[in-house]
Amino acid sequence: MSSPSSNAASVSTSASTTTIHLTVNGRTRTLSVEPRRTLLDALREDLHLTGAKPGCNMGQCGACTVLLDGEAVYSCLALAIECQHQAITTIEGLAHDDQLDPVQQAFIDHDALQCGFCTPGQVLALKSLLLRDPHPDDDAIERAMAGNLCRCGAYPKILAAARSLAGRAS
Amino acid sequence: MRPFEHLTVQAADEAIQALAGGDGGNTRLIAGGTDLLPLLKDGLVNPGRLIDIKPARALRHLTFDADGSLRIGALTTLAEIERSSQLAERLPLLRQSVVDAATPQLRAMATVGGNLLQRSRCWYFRGPFDCWLKGGTVCYMRDGENKYAAIFDQGPCRSAHPSDLAPALVALDATVSISGPAGSRTTPVAEFLAPPTNDERVEYRLRPDEMVTEIRIPAEAIAGHGVYLKAMDRRAWAFALVGAAAQVTILDGKVARARLVFSAVANVPWRATAAEALLVGQTLTPDLAAQAADAAIAGASPLAHNGYKVPLARELARRAILAAANLWTETN
Amino acid sequence: MPIRIVTTHLEFEGQVEEVRVVLEGEEPPAWGPDTPFQVVGKPTARVDARERVTGAAEYSYDVQLPGMLTAAGLRSPHPHARISRLDASSALAVPGVRAVYSHLNAGDFINPSSGKPVFGNELLYHGDLVALVVAETPEQAREATRAIDVAYEPLPFVTAPDAALAANAPMVNTAVPSNTISDEYPQVYQRGDVEAALAQAEVTIETRMETPAALHNSLETHGGAASWDGSRLTVWSSTQGVFGARQQAAAALGLPMTAVQVITQYMGGGFGSKLGVHRSGLLAAYASRQLGLPVKYMLDRTEENLDAGNRPPSVQAYRLGAAKDGTLAALDLAVIHNVGANGLWSSPVALPAKELYQCANVRTTDRAARTNLGTLAAFRAPGVVEGIAGLEVAIDALATELGMDSLELRRKNFAERYQLLDRPYARKMLLDCYRIGAERIGWETRDAEERRYPGGRSGHLRRGIGMASQLWGGDGGPPAQAIAKLLPDGTAVIITGTQDIGTGTRTVLAQIAAEELGYPLERVRVELGETAHGVFSPMSGGSMTLASVGPAVRMAAVEARKELTEVIGQLAEAPADALDIRNATVFNRETGAEMGGVSTYLEQLGGHEITAKGMRGPNAEDVTVRTFGAQFAEVEVDIGTGAVRVVRIVAVHDCGRIINPLTYSSQIEGGIIQGLGFALTEQRIVDERLGMVMNPNLGDYKAPTIRDIPQIDIVLLNEPNVVANTLGVLGAGEPPIIPTPGAIANAVGHALGKTVTRLPLTPDRVLDMLSTTTERS
Repeated sequence: MSSPSSNAASVSTSASTTTIHLTVNGRTRTLSVEPRRTLLDALREDLHLTGAKPGCNMGQCGACTVLLDGEAVYSCLALAIECQHQAITTIEGLAHDDQLDPVQQAFIDHDALQCGFCTPGQVLALKSLLLRDPHPDDDAIERAMAGNLCRCGAYPKILAAARSLAGRAS
Repeated sequence: MRPFEHLTVQAADEAIQALAGGDGGNTRLIAGGTDLLPLLKDGLVNPGRLIDIKPARALRHLTFDADGSLRIGALTTLAEIERSSQLAERLPLLRQSVVDAATPQLRAMATVGGNLLQRSRCWYFRGPFDCWLKGGTVCYMRDGENKYAAIFDQGPCRSAHPSDLAPALVALDATVSISGPAGSRTTPVAEFLAPPTNDERVEYRLRPDEMVTEIRIPAEAIAGHGVYLKAMDRRAWAFALVGAAAQVTILDGKVARARLVFSAVANVPWRATAAEALLVGQTLTPDLAAQAADAAIAGASPLAHNGYKVPLARELARRAILAAANLWTETN
Repeated sequence: MPIRIVTTHLEFEGQVEEVRVVLEGEEPPAWGPDTPFQVVGKPTARVDARERVTGAAEYSYDVQLPGMLTAAGLRSPHPHARISRLDASSALAVPGVRAVYSHLNAGDFINPSSGKPVFGNELLYHGDLVALVVAETPEQAREATRAIDVAYEPLPFVTAPDAALAANAPMVNTAVPSNTISDEYPQVYQRGDVEAALAQAEVTIETRMETPAALHNSLETHGGAASWDGSRLTVWSSTQGVFGARQQAAAALGLPMTAVQVITQYMGGGFGSKLGVHRSGLLAAYASRQLGLPVKYMLDRTEENLDAGNRPPSVQAYRLGAAKDGTLAALDLAVIHNVGANGLWSSPVALPAKELYQCANVRTTDRAARTNLGTLAAFRAPGVVEGIAGLEVAIDALATELGMDSLELRRKNFAERYQLLDRPYARKMLLDCYRIGAERIGWETRDAEERRYPGGRSGHLRRGIGMASQLWGGDGGPPAQAIAKLLPDGTAVIITGTQDIGTGTRTVLAQIAAEELGYPLERVRVELGETAHGVFSPMSGGSMTLASVGPAVRMAAVEARKELTEVIGQLAEAPADALDIRNATVFNRETGAEMGGVSTYLEQLGGHEITAKGMRGPNAEDVTVRTFGAQFAEVEVDIGTGAVRVVRIVAVHDCGRIINPLTYSSQIEGGIIQGLGFALTEQRIVDERLGMVMNPNLGDYKAPTIRDIPQIDIVLLNEPNVVANTLGVLGAGEPPIIPTPGAIANAVGHALGKTVTRLPLTPDRVLDMLSTTTERS
């Protein structure tokens, strides 16, 4: 993945609006943002990718989880301007054409969601785990999913979905 | 969050140059941002300029040197500590201290340097109160809702230090390397983290034109074995009610070196030196661990709602000491 | 169709209401216990799951329109204050800011729910609304709230309910001369003579239960997006009731109901707190109309936790009297409610005491205090969660006093009839729930040494097993309507005006329609969540959605199928009653011959869509419909650290026929997990000296994580309740949360040999309990 802006020198940006380039779901997107714009707001307000949800905006709920180079992070705690050299994956980029990602399909099959507001974050948190560890045990699953609150309480079904993907019966 | 200018640097020296403007703290470094962004959003800090130091890759490493000591770059993430198989094998205390810290997402973003510079979690500090730590005159915690407060009195402020990693670093005699316009200096983590004073209402000692670059852990500390135990009021994603880091070296059946350091009982990680002294030179037994645990909480002065922390700290200390020596079982 | 108006009775969260209902036609006969099903009763993945896992589902928070502005609220940093000066000029100077509203320029904007101005200059609680900023970006709006220059004149405040009700207490609102809700308080219910029965009882006990304020913390906050086009207002509201929201928005803006449409396609949780459009939705509508641009106002998490309602704190004092054989002789309960600054009602905390056990002498007294705190809102089985915890802990304490098994004591005092109206229950499976649950959890061995002390007596672990009962209404009722449309291509649309708040409403309604139409599930689409195109349905609350809307959908489908077979019969020259439809294919019932897909006939009709209406019929009279259930909890307490781990919950609930066992089990699990949070970790913490809420965020207000959950065993009874409605269903939203805190409290009490008096059971409380000497004998 090529990056349009250089990684070799200091870059200074004024407080007003500036142009940045983000690689989102494999596409380079050019945006005009203030330095204070978070990745979450850039995705939602500028790119209209509203799958990442603002549940708290303070890194205390997990609903805004996206992947940066495959690693699950809270997009509400990242500045968009600082994410120009990483591959950003949002829930909108997980399915390919009509083919859902196996994590998404497992969430559907196991009913691992209720209201669905936290679901994009949950799916991506689990995706990040499985990228690192394709066969996690229950402890690893619970630890990986501990940063995503689900107020409806879909946790038992999320665990079942994760177990099925880890190659184990639930 | 007010608007701010943004600068990206590639190396520590560039950051030092950028900080050298001497703008009285109007410039802040940003690394993982997991504490700084909430502070910005709440308006608790309002810098005019941020310097992103994340691209400074030279500050992101875990290196065991030939002499057996460990160097950790300030930009190393907590996740990298958690996932290091070398650390899991050679320094389980360090790894344990981070696995129950925050969440996977936060550990993937948060850095070791930032962890040492995180601000108080006291809800009077974070909330709309003109508390002493923010420049006011009153510590509201002292006579208020203080179930999470410090049980050791270190001055005007009663906030409890939230870091899980920092007590482990203190227990490992870690030092912190700091760069500034005048060069570099090294100071023990135990001194770097210091209770806020009237003149410096902050929990660390770092000048506005300085930055943390590295943590070093000496070989003799690594030679021992240790654990970190953390009590929380839910089973994940909570700051410690009390945390206990113990690192013990046993030679010829006797304790040669012992460190016992608490989180969340004082303004900064609290080293229980009296407990350590009881252990050194002795054969570690359950009775001795219990005596040391009693000594560890001597001098505690709990407030109206945090009295439970005293028996909790004692119990975690007892278990941590025993577990560090592989003597802890479910029936203890 | 003949039109009838009938009077029927609805129960919503403990309150019985008489309503007149318009009925057209006849409901089909109830599905019987032996009705065969193709779709109903089968575990079925949600029909809208794909949208929810791909990010395609559009929540109110996600609505984006050209030129849309964002609003942010400035909230009171005082528990009670008067605004003595407000200068918005600095805020207006922040780039991008379009407007700042406050009592100075929007004082005439009235909230129709309360009849009071949305912006007052007397602020009644920490988090009360001071001003609203509207700006081009969220950052600008939030920054500008800090730039508003406000001077506050602090006023005396009171946050503790007993203090608020004391003589000479500070007035919560200087415009209201009393701190109680109304002169109907204290509310006293009595039957028999409690004092005499207590005086004569062979055994008496007193217990107390204090429950905390719990915050809903739906992950989508309250709020809405509004767009005013000059003649019509559209509000995308995160609400549990689009029709109620429409009515409120129309009244607030002085618009006819035709000029307002409310849309809620997806919403991120409500749990009772989103029964209307909320002040935030009204403000979005107001600002949009003022500015002529779309405006979105979603509360931030702090605003949400200060100003979007709470399960209010309760203090419950019980006095029980019994004979030595366990026969309950007297039950006295005094409750103090803390309903917050603007509370208009109190929760039915006393309902279980009145109803759950056979007892001739019962008295309940409800006192309700307004305080300078955020106002209460319904929260999943309001009152009953707290009341069951208090009563069931008292029953365990009585059992201990009597030296009786607590489950035996419950069986002994089983109430056959509904004592408040002295009439029968339609069905009461509570004894079955006790039996099945006790067997599953291993009640018989609950006192076994090896079970109670997993690490031996010298170890630090103690296990305990406890249980609690559940009762709730959940039978729903009219009015609720539905339309079924059969499209030419052999698909069907079901139109209602309900909303899917995450419970799986779309899916169960599609199953019901598919079943009656003889269509495969994927050919049925359910349209809901819109006032403009939907037909009236009640709000999704009180566990009444399925039991109210489901029968209407079924009737619409039955009527549509009748018309369909009639049409096909005429086209095929076959008697309509000889036609069967399975898998959207027509069969001759008599010959078994396949006669082609339904579309082969419908496509001959020039685009005509068969359209039929259904409506929910009246509730059964002279009988009380309830869901009953029981949960059994096994906990492990670390007596060194005070940590409580719930090991296992066994849940046995009679929720009637189960349309979708998959989503049903999700509901049960979700209720249990919220109940677990209430029992162990969740509480709003107030600094009483300052009158301020310390933890209005998701960091310090601790909802359970995936690591906090126990093994959950759900027993599916699946017994249709044919008296309740034509589906035989009862609600399942609230029943599962009701017994969880009581069961956990009793399990912890069993583990420690003590009686729990306060929730939540955080480590500090458990350690305090361990350090006190009052052991239960």
